[in-house]
Amino acid sequence: MRLTRLKVAAAAVLVASTLAACGDAGSDDDKGIDVDVQEDAAAEFDEGTRMRELADGGTIKIGVKYDQPGIGFKGATDDQPVGFDPEIGKILAADLGIAPEDITWVETISANREAFLQKGEVDLVIASYSITDERRQVVGQAGPYYVTGQQLLVKSDSKIETIEDVKGTEVCSVTGSTSLSNIEAEGATPRGFDTYSECVEQVLNGTVDAMTTDGAILLGYAAEHPDELKVVVDPFSTERYGVGYSIDHPEMCEWITETIEEAQEDGDWAKAFELTLGKSGVDTPEPPEMDACS
Amino acid sequence: MTVTDEAPVGGGTPRSGEALVELADVQKWYGQLHVLQDINLTVSRGEVVVVIGPSGSGKSTLCRTINRLEPVDSGRILVDGSPLPQEGKALARHRADVGMVFQSFNLFAHKTILENVTLGPIKVRKQSKAEAETRARELLERVGVAHQADKYPAQLSGGQQQRVAIARALAMEPKVMLFDEPTSALDPEMIKEVLDVMVDLAERGMTMIVVTHEMGFARTAANRVVFMADGRILETADPETFFSNPESDRAKDFLGKILKH
Amino acid sequence: MENVLANFDLVLKAFWLTIQLALLSGLVALVLGTLLAAMRVGPISVLRGVAATYVTLVRNTPLLVMCIFVFVAAPNLGLFVGMPFLLKGTIAVGLYTAPFIAEAIRSGVNAVHLGQAEAARAIGMTFGQNMRYVVLPQAFRASVPPLASTLIAMTKNTSVVAVFGLMEATARMRDFVNKNSDDTMLIFLVFAIGYVILVELISFAAYGLERRWKAAR
Repeated sequence: MRLTRLKVAAAAVLVASTLAACGDAGSDDDKGIDVDVQEDAAAEFDEGTRMRELADGGTIKIGVKYDQPGIGFKGATDDQPVGFDPEIGKILAADLGIAPEDITWVETISANREAFLQKGEVDLVIASYSITDERRQVVGQAGPYYVTGQQLLVKSDSKIETIEDVKGTEVCSVTGSTSLSNIEAEGATPRGFDTYSECVEQVLNGTVDAMTTDGAILLGYAAEHPDELKVVVDPFSTERYGVGYSIDHPEMCEWITETIEEAQEDGDWAKAFELTLGKSGVDTPEPPEMDACS
Repeated sequence: MTVTDEAPVGGGTPRSGEALVELADVQKWYGQLHVLQDINLTVSRGEVVVVIGPSGSGKSTLCRTINRLEPVDSGRILVDGSPLPQEGKALARHRADVGMVFQSFNLFAHKTILENVTLGPIKVRKQSKAEAETRARELLERVGVAHQADKYPAQLSGGQQQRVAIARALAMEPKVMLFDEPTSALDPEMIKEVLDVMVDLAERGMTMIVVTHEMGFARTAANRVVFMADGRILETADPETFFSNPESDRAKDFLGKILKH
Repeated sequence: MENVLANFDLVLKAFWLTIQLALLSGLVALVLGTLLAAMRVGPISVLRGVAATYVTLVRNTPLLVMCIFVFVAAPNLGLFVGMPFLLKGTIAVGLYTAPFIAEAIRSGVNAVHLGQAEAARAIGMTFGQNMRYVVLPQAFRASVPPLASTLIAMTKNTSVVAVFGLMEATARMRDFVNKNSDDTMLIFLVFAIGYVILVELISFAAYGLERRWKAAR
């Protein structure tokens, strides 16, 4: 295993760091897709809209995950986060005339995404942010730009193929997560860990039989270890990732929806997928149908 | 600290096989302080030797070297013909043969009186529990505390505790008994009950080395009195001679102070 | 499966795992701690050094570091891979607690009057017999209060394994909180009371022992 030495060193020295498992994830040289930055974008938006403000300002703050390979990941030495979510962010920024290098990336974790939007710490949240009715009470969510569901990450030679196979096995996820409850309900012994990366370690070294959470996250880890890991089982829940925006700027919904629909049509969405989650070897899926804005 | 067995054997050469305890040229320092100097002493089987002297004279230390509770720096200590072993199982076996009674009794606080007396025989002598208990009850009877057998030490008076301590030592069937100021921690009214037990023991022929201030005991029970001061043995004599006609000034001075009380 | 009271069986199951962890870790810590204490007061300098090093090393290491070693680092080195999680938790918490037990007992040993050990030596007991029959039994009696505090701390410390694969009380609490943010206060109360009951059991046991041994000290 090429990561062994790094993993041992990291585990010995530090606490619960995402670095332990992710090693060189995100250090890849590719810069993602080439976006066409709109010139004179401000003119496209009406005076008084949030889009106009952002275009005039020439910069945008986007919250993404820094610890989910393939979705949103930033290594300790990286300048920019990489993954499918940042690619979507670049597509949206380009439409406002903002070049990728002018984007201010902010790390958001699951617990602070609503608060960051409400306080204006970020303009957009693109961070494996499932659309739910509860969240739509407090923030705006446009999308889904990607649809995934709970699946299992197993070793390449694992015998687990269907959800029935997990009965009696040990399956890890993040302690207290819904995924862990779901898999417990399927008859597996839940093994909660602090981070996904620790959980992946347990799968890689054979301590547990599988890891479970959203397939998109699992694909990211599978992309890191394409020879050792694979994602199995038909999704047994549906997670629809949306772009979060402040509920004070409802006009952003139409813009986000239209911009992503354009990207889905012109192939940028597919390119973004291939360069990130697609590395796990899965076929690029059909882009999902975006919800209408109300 | 080491005991050098090669040290020359001094004047205290055993008297034709009857010597039970023999100290030859024993030296001990506490740092700069020379607490035992040129100690030569031979105690014969059945003999009762009383060691007296002012406090700080080294008499307790002398007593405690005989079962190596205090290691010495040089010199030879023999018990029943064999030299004192170094730390370890051999030393433990040696100690089992040398009974000791302490000033502060040192009964095992978490054991009943009966258990105090049977613990050594069962664990060290490997006697059966029944055998050890029968013997223990006899000994407790002999020292007059049989009815207290099931109590804990803290429930007994000092005199009773010390008599139990004597029974505990006797239960090991020792070759010699060491008494390190056995009555010094006792209230006056309890001293006699302990001394009576010791006199009885002496009459039964037990070899005893007794460090004490009880001159009455020395007169009645001792075969010999050893007078120590400043880490040296200054005089050795039978009690009659020693008390009526001490030779050294230190002894005269000491007796003068003691007997005026 | 949302409400904490409607799913009380899950709460009980989680606390049962906490109890198992506490009992097993406590056993490991008591046995190892006693051994370490005996080594530290013993006559063999090599063992004294080994025990002192272990105590210093582990007592100054956070439990989380210990857990990361046992659950995350060691399996990467190929150690403990097939071992049940409960056993790994026992190793982590037990090894971590042992030096605290050792220090509690050592303070108890120091509280035992020197004459006790001397009397035991005088009747021919070896160091081992002396420790086993005379010094340690009394040291344990003197150590009951600090031992109880250590075991109470240990019981609460078992919660650290919540993020290392064991669905014990704290992990289950996190699970409930995550699913019913409205009930957070009730969930907190249920689990806090659970821990209070466990800790009080230890306190009662310690109190009982102290009373029982009062006469024999």
